[in-house]
Amino acid sequence: MYNRIIRNDILKSKAITLTTVIFVAAAAMLVSLAAILVINLTGALDTLMEKAETPHFMQMHSGEIDRHRLTAFAEQNNNVEEYQVVEFLGMDGSQIILGDNSLTNSVQDNGFSIQSEKFDYLLDLNGDIINISDGEIYVPVAYMKDNTAELGDTAVISGKEFTIAGFLRDSTMNSSLSASKRFLVSSNDFVEIKDLGNIEYLIEFRLKDYSKIGEFETAYASAGLEANGPTVTYTLFKTMNAISDGLMIAVILLVSVLVIAIAFMSIRFTLLAKIEDDYREIGVMKAIGLRLSDIKKIYLAKYAVIAAAGSILGFILSLMFQGVLLENIRVYMGESENAPLAIGLGIIGILLVFLAIVAYVNLVLKRFRKISAAEAIRFGTSKEKKVGAKRFTLSSNRVFSTNIFLGIKDVLARKRLYGTMLLVLVISAFIIIVPQNLYNTISSKSFIQYMGIGSYDLRIQTSDHEKTDDIVQTIESDSDVSKYAVLTTKTFKVKTSNESGENMKVELGDHSAFPIEYSVGRAPVRDDEIALSAINADEMSKKVGDVITLINEGKEKELKVSGIYSDVTNGGKTAKAVFTDNSANVMWTIVCVELSDKSFVDSKVLGYSSEFDFAKTSDINEFVSQTLGSTINSVEIASYAAVAVALVITTLVTLLFMKMLVAKDRYSIAVMKAFGFTNSDIKVQYVSRSVFVLIVGIILGTLLANTVGEIFAGALISSFGASTFNFAVNPLSAYLVSPLMMISMVLIATVIGIARAGQIKISENIKE
Amino acid sequence: MNKIVIGDNIVKSFGEGIEQRNILDGVSVEINEDEFVSVMGPSGSGKSTLMFALSGMDGINSGKVVFDNKDLSAIGEKQLSDIRRSEMGFIFQQPTMLKNLNILDNIILPSIRDNRKNALKISEKARTLMEKVGISELEKRNITQVSGGQLQRAGICRALMNSPKIIFGDEPTGALNSQSAQEIMDILSEINTEGTAVMLVTHDAKVAARTERIMFMRDGKIVSELKLPKSVGVNIDSRIEKVTAKMLEIGI
Ligand SMILES: Nc1ncnc2c1ncn2[C@@H]1O[C@H](COP(=O)(O)OP(=O)(O)OP(=O)(O)O)[C@@H](O)[C@H]1O
Ligand SMILES: [Mg+2]
Repeated sequence: MYNRIIRNDILKSKAITLTTVIFVAAAAMLVSLAAILVINLTGALDTLMEKAETPHFMQMHSGEIDRHRLTAFAEQNNNVEEYQVVEFLGMDGSQIILGDNSLTNSVQDNGFSIQSEKFDYLLDLNGDIINISDGEIYVPVAYMKDNTAELGDTAVISGKEFTIAGFLRDSTMNSSLSASKRFLVSSNDFVEIKDLGNIEYLIEFRLKDYSKIGEFETAYASAGLEANGPTVTYTLFKTMNAISDGLMIAVILLVSVLVIAIAFMSIRFTLLAKIEDDYREIGVMKAIGLRLSDIKKIYLAKYAVIAAAGSILGFILSLMFQGVLLENIRVYMGESENAPLAIGLGIIGILLVFLAIVAYVNLVLKRFRKISAAEAIRFGTSKEKKVGAKRFTLSSNRVFSTNIFLGIKDVLARKRLYGTMLLVLVISAFIIIVPQNLYNTISSKSFIQYMGIGSYDLRIQTSDHEKTDDIVQTIESDSDVSKYAVLTTKTFKVKTSNESGENMKVELGDHSAFPIEYSVGRAPVRDDEIALSAINADEMSKKVGDVITLINEGKEKELKVSGIYSDVTNGGKTAKAVFTDNSANVMWTIVCVELSDKSFVDSKVLGYSSEFDFAKTSDINEFVSQTLGSTINSVEIASYAAVAVALVITTLVTLLFMKMLVAKDRYSIAVMKAFGFTNSDIKVQYVSRSVFVLIVGIILGTLLANTVGEIFAGALISSFGASTFNFAVNPLSAYLVSPLMMISMVLIATVIGIARAGQIKISENIKE
Repeated sequence: MNKIVIGDNIVKSFGEGIEQRNILDGVSVEINEDEFVSVMGPSGSGKSTLMFALSGMDGINSGKVVFDNKDLSAIGEKQLSDIRRSEMGFIFQQPTMLKNLNILDNIILPSIRDNRKNALKISEKARTLMEKVGISELEKRNITQVSGGQLQRAGICRALMNSPKIIFGDEPTGALNSQSAQEIMDILSEINTEGTAVMLVTHDAKVAARTERIMFMRDGKIVSELKLPKSVGVNIDSRIEKVTAKMLEIGI
């Protein structure tokens, strides 16, 4: 029965209705996408980790290994379900050639394994356990993604030829955050190449009860078993696998919350304007005794139609776009079994958006009750309280031209109306700036300080501590080196309250040479000081100033915690100290080098790589980008998408607002024209309004982005180990390019939006 | 005597196709540069339309409007605006003022557009005018805080700000009581004697009787004219009688 009224109303305001539908659609699409992505990510990840039977506990170890002792431990510990030792044949990247590409520049620890016997299986792209034949090689899927290798290519490993028979998913090492990458070869081939690299061991356990992992870790540590390398647990594997897509989902969620806010704002704006226009009619209807709920129903029905159209459109769009965003998950983890569930949750998300809009419209319509019939008929408008700006008069204005004055005055006089537009622009500025700053921050060189790495040019890592001196001597005599530091990582046992000690990796050396960011406190400088990574401090519940006791060869050493820092390397559990120690076994040594001329970095990396073929030399930028690469990529895509979304929003909202304003202001426009203001005068006035609102919006948006946005981004970053966080802002793009883009879009939208003002006829609006 | 406005055979129509009607059906008028004229006619006869046409606010279908030797149908929107702003003054029945601005700002709005540097002088002039029409204490008030008569006086001040050559008034007294209406007419007469042409549209015989020439319109045509001596003097009652007699004669 309302059909006709609604249809006429929608036809009369096509542009405005369409814009509202687009906003609702955008909001619905993002919500649905986030739902679909979350379900697919968790589903695919679970499937991958279930099929691969990811270890619950993995100790990497280089050096001698006592298998009997390990087996005995596994048999004794009643929580162990399965146990195995996987051999990982590490090989220098220069020895690995895939098709036409060599892995010389790869910062990953590339190595070879055979298919595991009991668990931790390597899977093919169909998610099946790979059965490999002699002469075949399976390559980590990351090298397919970055186009390093192609199916059927020939791979040459230390001179031996293989055929690339496929790509593998490795539930423990898939993530770019994991430093190692496993290639799969047959057992016969493995034996053949075994002497061409260094064997490392992956000591792996599956537990009966994973919730008791903490106990197990302590048991392993206190048994004094092999521990020369990082320790990783099931939870950390999961986090590492999920991080880059998780970050993308977080950004989408953020944007979707903001877009929903914007959709609400536009609905509020158009609805308020419409009520204002219909004020007299509503009053008359009330006066002659019509039921308000009937009138309300008409409005509600109109917005229900709009919300439904937008939601359906948004859902279709989300189905269209899901492919692009799911690609990463598909490649690295495979299809999710929950795909139908994902669609279902998407639909639920969209229903929520729909219901929220209807509820919101209902809320705004509460105003109906306040409309006084008498007032509506007498004045035709609600008596809005006039606030402020009384002093800002034309007669005392010396600063602005008359048209600009009139524009600004209008904004100040109708704060409620423009407040809505302002809020949208603030949100847009926020959406543009925050992801961009986040991207800029995590891709900036100084971000590695949040990773627990100082700011230097290249790093040389070796586990062969007898040859460390060679490296140091060479570096020392190299005139291109402006500064260097040697950091040696050793394992110490930490004395805990319950007697059983836990192992902790401590990096010893001069930590002031290449300082990192400390979230609390400072770097250790005295012999009795130690700094802890955030995760370590958390697990041991230590604060700055607390004391921890390390045990080394029976002797106890008391150290005071001087600072806490973020670390995303080595599972995030590290420590830094400066004391000298000659007893404990060196796990690895890193020589950090800063060059006097950065343009030498490439040639130096090449030079040192061939000179120290026992060590791993990498360009620090390369190291960071390969470690964080896919995360940075996701954020970069998200930040571009955010800019596009925000600009579209800005344009549409400005267009919408300007069209509505012109429609509402027909009378004032006619008056001004009658008294000799030209069309271009009117244009200048409207442009001043939107530019004024925009400038305030950009300023507020930027401030918010750098405060609230920073806190938000910090929360995101801390999810993978970093604890303090400051935006690294690229001023050119954040403070110049982005505002300029917004200003141009707003100008274009304003000029298009007010085109109608030129056609307003004086005689039709001033009736006598 | 110089003509300030000449309308020559103006045709103005609304609607299209068979719906099309000539609202002004070949109207010719001439107004002298110091004349005080009025237009009367039944509702819908085209009085307002004629005023919009003569002031260049609305285009015409055929014919010609010459204002101060400029052919209005031949010039563009910008110059038309310029002419309206600097050479014409308007007073409407409803107070056509901007809600955002206070009384003073509304009055100076058209003149300050080109002359921001002289804001002080302009405000001064506005105050003088406001004093003259008796609203000097209202300058800071919002337009919703004054009476209809006061607003109308403010409208006159606005119309006078640029020392126009002609003032167009479309029922400037229509919304006022007779006391206020007479006061407004006093002001307009005084302006006219100071040398500004005035053209009023009115339904009120008392108002029309104070002008020196009355044009009667019906169905888009000027059907009759009544001339009265310029100076009103004490003969106002006999003038009103003449106007009402004429109205009866042509059946308005
Ligand atoms: N924009 C328009 N479209 C169609 N017809 C119009 C338009 N504007 C005015 N008219 C018609 O033109 C005729 C003359 O209108 P106008 O406003 O000039 O009358 P008026 O003489 O001023 O009447 P009143 O004394 O009531 O003010 C009327 O019949 C009106 O319906
Ligand atoms: Mg009229």
